Amino acid sequence: MGRCTAFPCTFRGETVKLKNVWVTYSGANLPAIQDITLTIPSKKLVLITGPNGAGKTTLLETCLGLLKAFKGEVFLFGINTKSRSVVNVRKLCGYVPQDFIKPPFESYTVKRVIQFGLAPYKSIFEQLTKEEEDLVQEVAEILDIKNLLAEPVGTLSGGQQQKVVIARALVRRPRALFLDEPFSSLDKESRKLVSNVLKGYVKEEKATALIVSHDTNPVINLADAVIEMKDGRIVETQGL
Amino acid sequence: MLELLALSFIAAVLSGGLCGAIGFHVHRLKITTLSFSVAHAALAGAAVGLILGLDPIYSAMGVAVISALILGFLLTRVKYGGELLSMTVFSVCSAIALFAIYLSNTQVLATSSISVILWGSLLAVTLQKLTILLLVTFTFILYILAYRVHIDSILYDKKLAEAEGLNIYNHTLAILFFAGMAIASTLKLTGGFLVFTLLYNPVAASFQLTKKAYLQLLYSSLLGSFSASSGLIASYFLDWPVGATIAILSSIILLLSFLMGELKKEEALKDILKKRNRINSV
Repeated sequence: MGRCTAFPCTFRGETVKLKNVWVTYSGANLPAIQDITLTIPSKKLVLITGPNGAGKTTLLETCLGLLKAFKGEVFLFGINTKSRSVVNVRKLCGYVPQDFIKPPFESYTVKRVIQFGLAPYKSIFEQLTKEEEDLVQEVAEILDIKNLLAEPVGTLSGGQQQKVVIARALVRRPRALFLDEPFSSLDKESRKLVSNVLKGYVKEEKATALIVSHDTNPVINLADAVIEMKDGRIVETQGL
Repeated sequence: MLELLALSFIAAVLSGGLCGAIGFHVHRLKITTLSFSVAHAALAGAAVGLILGLDPIYSAMGVAVISALILGFLLTRVKYGGELLSMTVFSVCSAIALFAIYLSNTQVLATSSISVILWGSLLAVTLQKLTILLLVTFTFILYILAYRVHIDSILYDKKLAEAEGLNIYNHTLAILFFAGMAIASTLKLTGGFLVFTLLYNPVAASFQLTKKAYLQLLYSSLLGSFSASSGLIASYFLDWPVGATIAILSSIILLLSFLMGELKKEEALKDILKKRNRINSV
């Protein structure tokens, strides 16, 4: 797969940079992450691990600017996530959230949901090109969900829905992947398939992947670097 | 008289359809309380317009748009507690509306121009107001067509769409803006207290009738149009207040669709399970 050319990026520095970042949720007594200083270089597959409540998801969402740091600064592809232009650099990213399961009444088809990944590159009245339609088919085939393209997402199992959201992230040909527990609902074979696809993508596309997983088994051998978190702090880093 | 009734009928068809379509987006974006606040801001604007001697529709539109922008701005600052903020705005706007009515020199609500914005009127639609409603409807349709794929993506999963680089803030504001404009345009027909009926009842009914997103949007719009126009006709022949008649009719439609939905539910669940088994076996 080639990289998305709809939003060309000339930035050659680190993918994410955090400087003394603190994030807190309203009503919480303790900050979810505390005084994190971290640089995620480009072209690396980085695993963020740690027990429940360690702040892994908060860190991932902060990197994308979905959560705002109340102290410190976060840069995504060199752009401060507090600035309005973060919307543009997010177009270089693919995201797989932790809460991806849709209820049985969700009626959008798998094909449509994967196509939504290309929505930010579309200007008004613009439709999908033939090349993009083919790309959707290609990604679905790689993730073994091509036979599900016409099915409503809500009727799929958790594992199948997780593959759909991974396909949606990949179809964007992102420079950076932000994956929150991407193996949580997958069976053994699917885990192997998805981890190989991710590793292949990072290598082939020279992309960065930031993977949050409390279960290190599926990705520990693939990761170039590992960040271990506990109680909102980074307790250990390897390979960075 | 007949000409005025014809104008009201066209306005009912248009505003019902518009409110139904906007209500669908409002519901899926989970900004129902926000639009509720904007609707009350429109009512407050109309009431203030009356005591200032302005056309209540224009003052309602102005205040609705301003409140939509302020609420949208505040919500980007308040990640949690947005519903509480909306309800505060709702309370304040209701209080302003009641104060404005109290301050006006009207003694008999039923015979004053205030009654039009409170309870609605069969004869309140003029050609000028209909033109405004047409413009709002046309602009909304254009907006939906232009940004269909963006909007669908946001309706499917707001957080995911935001992470992918869609401007959630602008689209939410746009929907709130259209909600404010639609409410202000419909205010004189249904009255300020019952305008929400057209915004929410058709959507609730459409969700009972179909599980397909595009059909839900279509049904919301059609049921909105049907509720508003049939309510208008019924109120004319039965000599009932128009807003209340529309509200009762759309509630009956909602009840009927709920019963139909319940009947279909068991069958649909069986179908889903069958489909899931088929997919798993493949």
